[in-house]
Amino acid sequence: MFEAISNNPYRSLRAPRVDLRRLRPALPALIFLFVFMVVPLSSLLLLSVTKPEIGLGNYISLLGDATYGRVLLNTFTIAAIVTLVTLIIAYPVAWLLAILPSRVSQIFFAIILLSMWTNLLARTYGWMVLLQRTGVINRMLMEIGLIHQPLPLINNLVGVTIGMTYIMLPYVILPLHATISGIDPAIMQAAAITGAKPRQIFWHVMLPLSLPGIGAGCMMVFVMALGYYVTPALLGGTANMMLAEMIAQQVQSLLNWGLGSAAAFILLAVTLIFYAIYVRAIGLGRVR
Amino acid sequence: MITRRHLLQTAGLGAGALALGAMPASRLLAAGNLTFVSWGGTTQDGQKASWADPFTQKTGIDVLQDGPTDYGKLKAMIDAGNTVWDVVDVEGDYAYQAAENGLLEPIDYSIVKKDNLDPRFSFDYGVGSFYYSFVLGYNKDAVGSNTPEGWADIFDTKRFPGKRSFWKWSSPGVLEMALLADGVAPDKLYPLDLDRAFAKLDTIKKDILWWASGAESQQQLASGEVALGKFWNGRMYALEQSGANTGISWKQNMALADILVVPKGTKNKEAAMKFLALAASPEGQAAFANATAYAPTNTASIPLVDKKIQSILPSEHTESQITLDMRYWAKNRDEIGKRWYAWQAA
Repeated sequence: MFEAISNNPYRSLRAPRVDLRRLRPALPALIFLFVFMVVPLSSLLLLSVTKPEIGLGNYISLLGDATYGRVLLNTFTIAAIVTLVTLIIAYPVAWLLAILPSRVSQIFFAIILLSMWTNLLARTYGWMVLLQRTGVINRMLMEIGLIHQPLPLINNLVGVTIGMTYIMLPYVILPLHATISGIDPAIMQAAAITGAKPRQIFWHVMLPLSLPGIGAGCMMVFVMALGYYVTPALLGGTANMMLAEMIAQQVQSLLNWGLGSAAAFILLAVTLIFYAIYVRAIGLGRVR
Repeated sequence: MITRRHLLQTAGLGAGALALGAMPASRLLAAGNLTFVSWGGTTQDGQKASWADPFTQKTGIDVLQDGPTDYGKLKAMIDAGNTVWDVVDVEGDYAYQAAENGLLEPIDYSIVKKDNLDPRFSFDYGVGSFYYSFVLGYNKDAVGSNTPEGWADIFDTKRFPGKRSFWKWSSPGVLEMALLADGVAPDKLYPLDLDRAFAKLDTIKKDILWWASGAESQQQLASGEVALGKFWNGRMYALEQSGANTGISWKQNMALADILVVPKGTKNKEAAMKFLALAASPEGQAAFANATAYAPTNTASIPLVDKKIQSILPSEHTESQITLDMRYWAKNRDEIGKRWYAWQAA
């Protein structure tokens, strides 16, 4: 009977039987995750329902209070805007990298990776120097007479979007490039031969085929953006506060650990929900 | 408020860790040692040189430097019954609140001499570490021929266009500034009329930038990113010294202190009290003032302070000085904090 199952060609589609002995090599990693992730997360969860008193009070005030609601909304809005802008910029870049001769594209890759490996704080301060009222961009525009008043580029949504998009770009370019390079050019050729115009080829052939890369990149950016701290804190105004900054404020300044923990859990839950949706829609196997 | 003096703290933390690593194990295990915690940077350097080093010389007790001050961490170690910080430099309003919440050991005034301690900054559960003032600082290029002279000018966006900048965190100062500018008499400030203060701040809300560390405040003002604002006097002095084209108005400067406290449950209570005795002494306070240009909390220290430094201390500008009410803030800290951050985020 067991043999029958193992010979079943559809076996891999069913829930696989997990042989615990085969997990042995993963044991160090599992222990590490348990000690440094499961345990602290559990104590965080406990804090959120016990401090200052037992119950769901923290969650109720988080979801019911106008200020906290605003911060939650800010968090999702900013994450969504950043994801969209990043995708729009990253797509042509990934495409270009896929069609350039590999010697040229390698130079571009080096530039992209180098920026990714530079310290986050240093890059964010760099943007401050560029974007502030007396910064390089505003001074230059005023010098050449294009504007007379400095543009508000920092301490607002514009600053946050610019700073975060810049940091997120590689996370979309890389998976997109992998997907786009994997598309057989003959398919596009076939579409052209059968009379599709370039625009049609893009919308009906190329874009659907690159969806897995778009999905993987966007999901990575969206989830990372939800928990972002340094960049919005430095480039945004207080009106653009995101959840991570609010958690820090609750824990460090107001010593309200219960509420901070509850906020952290909401963030985690939302992240998991998005991940689940993504896995259902695109499939775990295609996340690369 | 851990983020205070953010950049310096990180530097201090690194230096502290290095010092700890470099210390021979025998010294760590020595019977007498004491852990002193502050905000890092030049402040903690000054405290080490003025208090910790002479203390070790006098008593043979080693003083380990740690930091930065973190109220969450402090509370956690007291709650867990594992207090490893013996003397901590905290903000004044926090000291009064922590005392109220039973987090602090009472000061042993048979060891610490009370005689000349400025009663504004020392109490049953803490002695003044140093005091400073919030002053009006301005960029001379940005304000042009007009010179701002009082808090009301901060709200005058016609005469003084441009951004203004204040400390980001909920803490004594900005609300008081708004009320003074709105015509409230200094002796009628407390209890604060929060509605009136926030309404006044609303009138300039779109022109406000926030500074989250002393270095950031200096950068903002020196670069002209902001035209004027409310800053720490020591930072403004350092800015002028560095050649920046900035000025200070001392009118209605707002005095506020850092306070040294001893957390509940410390195993080195007696050594901690001896340390406080030295830190609060006329000599200890004068040495620190000379090192940092913060004002001493011991009134007998003034004659011992360098003449040149004396002239730039808040203790020389007391005619219109306002002492921020730390007891009021200790009681209302949480409630005001909630409202403050909600207002900022709105």
